[in-house]
Amino acid sequence: MARRGRQALFFLLPMLILVVAFYILPLVLTAWISFTPLTNWRVRDQLVDFVGLENYVNLYYLARYDPDFHKVLQTTLVFVVLTLFINVVGGLVLAILTYLIDERISLGYRLLWLLPRMTPLAVFGLLWYYFFYGGPQGTLNSFFLKMGIIDEPMRWGTDPAMLPYSAWAIIVFVNGLVGVSYGMIIFYSAFKNIPRELIIAARVDGAKTWEVIRHILVPIVRWHIVFVTVWQLLSLITSYTHLFVLVQWSVVDKWYGTTLALYVFNTAFFDVKNQGFAAAAAVILVIIGSILGLLTLRIMRFSQMISPPRGDI
Amino acid sequence: MVEVRLEGVTKRFGRVTAVNSVNLVFGDGEFTALLGPSGSGKSTILYLVAGIYKPSEGRIYFGDRDVTDLMPNERNIGLVFQNYALYPHMTVYDNIAFPLKLRRTPPEVIRDKVLEVAKFLHISELLDRYPAQLSGGQQQRVALARALVKEPEVLLLDEPLSNLDALLRIKIRSELKRIQKELGVTAIYVTHDQSEALAMADKVVVINRGVIQQEAPPDTIYNEPRNVFVASFIGSPPSNIFPATMDYTEEPCINLPGGTRHCVEEEYAGVLWRMKPSKVIVGFRPEHAEIVENPVDGRPVIVGEVYTVEPLGRENIVTVASEDIHLKVITPPEVRPEAGELVYVAVERGKLMLFDPQTEINLKYIAREWSQGG
Ligand SMILES: Nc1ncnc2c1ncn2[C@@H]1O[C@H](COP(=O)(O)OP(=O)(O)OP(=O)(O)O)[C@@H](O)[C@H]1O
Ligand SMILES: [Mg+2]
Repeated sequence: MARRGRQALFFLLPMLILVVAFYILPLVLTAWISFTPLTNWRVRDQLVDFVGLENYVNLYYLARYDPDFHKVLQTTLVFVVLTLFINVVGGLVLAILTYLIDERISLGYRLLWLLPRMTPLAVFGLLWYYFFYGGPQGTLNSFFLKMGIIDEPMRWGTDPAMLPYSAWAIIVFVNGLVGVSYGMIIFYSAFKNIPRELIIAARVDGAKTWEVIRHILVPIVRWHIVFVTVWQLLSLITSYTHLFVLVQWSVVDKWYGTTLALYVFNTAFFDVKNQGFAAAAAVILVIIGSILGLLTLRIMRFSQMISPPRGDI
Repeated sequence: MVEVRLEGVTKRFGRVTAVNSVNLVFGDGEFTALLGPSGSGKSTILYLVAGIYKPSEGRIYFGDRDVTDLMPNERNIGLVFQNYALYPHMTVYDNIAFPLKLRRTPPEVIRDKVLEVAKFLHISELLDRYPAQLSGGQQQRVALARALVKEPEVLLLDEPLSNLDALLRIKIRSELKRIQKELGVTAIYVTHDQSEALAMADKVVVINRGVIQQEAPPDTIYNEPRNVFVASFIGSPPSNIFPATMDYTEEPCINLPGGTRHCVEEEYAGVLWRMKPSKVIVGFRPEHAEIVENPVDGRPVIVGEVYTVEPLGRENIVTVASEDIHLKVITPPEVRPEAGELVYVAVERGKLMLFDPQTEINLKYIAREWSQGG
């Protein structure tokens, strides 16, 4: 047993070192900073100047009384839930569609959906900047104006009359477009691994297309669904790059386009440069992420899916 | 239950013709084996009957019903795959119940039927397990149960025993035959194992490159192969086949390798006189010949030199080289000549097969067709 433990440790060591260096250490550092008043990176005098729970208390008051921060929290919830839904269910639908149609068409179709992911962030941002631009030159505006659906240009993501829904719709749409291809690729390759005979057998047993999907395709890729859900959940909670570009270029409203992750980033590096406070928010974010991740695994009954090792080492 | 008929059925995949204008009848309640080498189109025929493929040409009938354009689920068939294709995420019970659930059968009825078929196939104690927890033989029976629970009119089996070990195979194949006869279901059984086909089937259909070679009961396939392909495909080792020249001075005689001559039996004489081919293809089975020291009157004899001897315990396979032809002969264990020894290979009376060199068809069949045609 001890030997097996040592062996396991040997194989896990490279990964452990990486995890410690790039995850545990920064995490400890962040937690540390969250108890200091660090601002503007005045590391020399502020890094050892503890203020106790002050940053957390501030965060609590902000959460309680600050209307802007309320918007951030609401946006985070809406953004994560809706985008997660689009990424998982949309990815599944796309994968099923591309699995069922002719391979040659399906390949081009899947590549098309990969484009948003392959596009550099700046180009992607620029694209949506022009697309949702508030003046008559904006793609959406000029299209709708020509069609006669609207009379004057709309400021799609920032017009207070349409907030918060328009801003939310835009950030969910833009991020969904990027994220949906991930699930599609994973699910599609999982479908491709299902033996052809299994589908034929189901057909012979009398299953119609939707019954094949429901009883065969989806249950067999259940594990992949869990994986994609957890992965996308965590990455949605923590990622902010696309949102950053959208907010920075005023495609969407500042607060109804900012999630907690972006808020942490802006607080630490951009707006007020209050790193101590940002670190406290980041710690909370990590805690929320961990709890939600575990909860998802629990809900999807992950433990039932773990199979015993494929052989004794 | 129902007779299955293929009329002029052709199936093409792009430029490949997998099945070429096939006419076949699978008798009601009969057990038919489809036998052929890999890639000959056996599975394709099965899938055509199942409705998984649509024929490029021709029609398929179940009794009087034209099923050519019907979907698999409208045909009332049971299909067992080579790799069983059990649903890995369902228990054995759910696997068997699946076709009934899709038919919206009431749960109590499903339960009764699943338990009944499970008992019939001796898998009642496996119902809670997942396919991955079963042995090959058990999986095979579950696949069979799933096919039978629908009470199909036609049972299609695509090499269902090929994953099993030799002992289990022999055991299950008799079991399968018994089940089929008990249910009286029309069965089509695909295999490339000839002993399986000969042992189980009421009728054997030999197919090569998508074309039917012969369709007959097992003994006929074995004793009177219709053409060179069937003769060389059936038997282990398969028939000895070699070309020979003819001589018609007094009666039709074959110049055998090694310089001997054999004047043909009555049944071949007529057709040879009429066709007068200068060459024929000669064949005989290794088990229909023996090694003798002196040529015996009347029997066809080939002179040659012993090339190798393979002792198999119950018998030996002796290879004899005569001119540039290698002949295999099965001998009793005690007959074990030395390599290099000069021997005579004597073929049993009436066991020499002659084929037309052009069409490779057995001259016996040509003679029969002529006598029938007038
Ligand atoms: N879906 C398909 N697309 C293209 N060609 C096919 C397809 N299915 C079969 N073929 C071709 O048709 C021919 C017959 O195939 P089939 O699967 O019927 O052979 P088989 O007799 O079942 O062989 P095996 O004993 O190896 O299973 C082969 O040449 C094969 O390559
Ligand atoms: Mg096959």
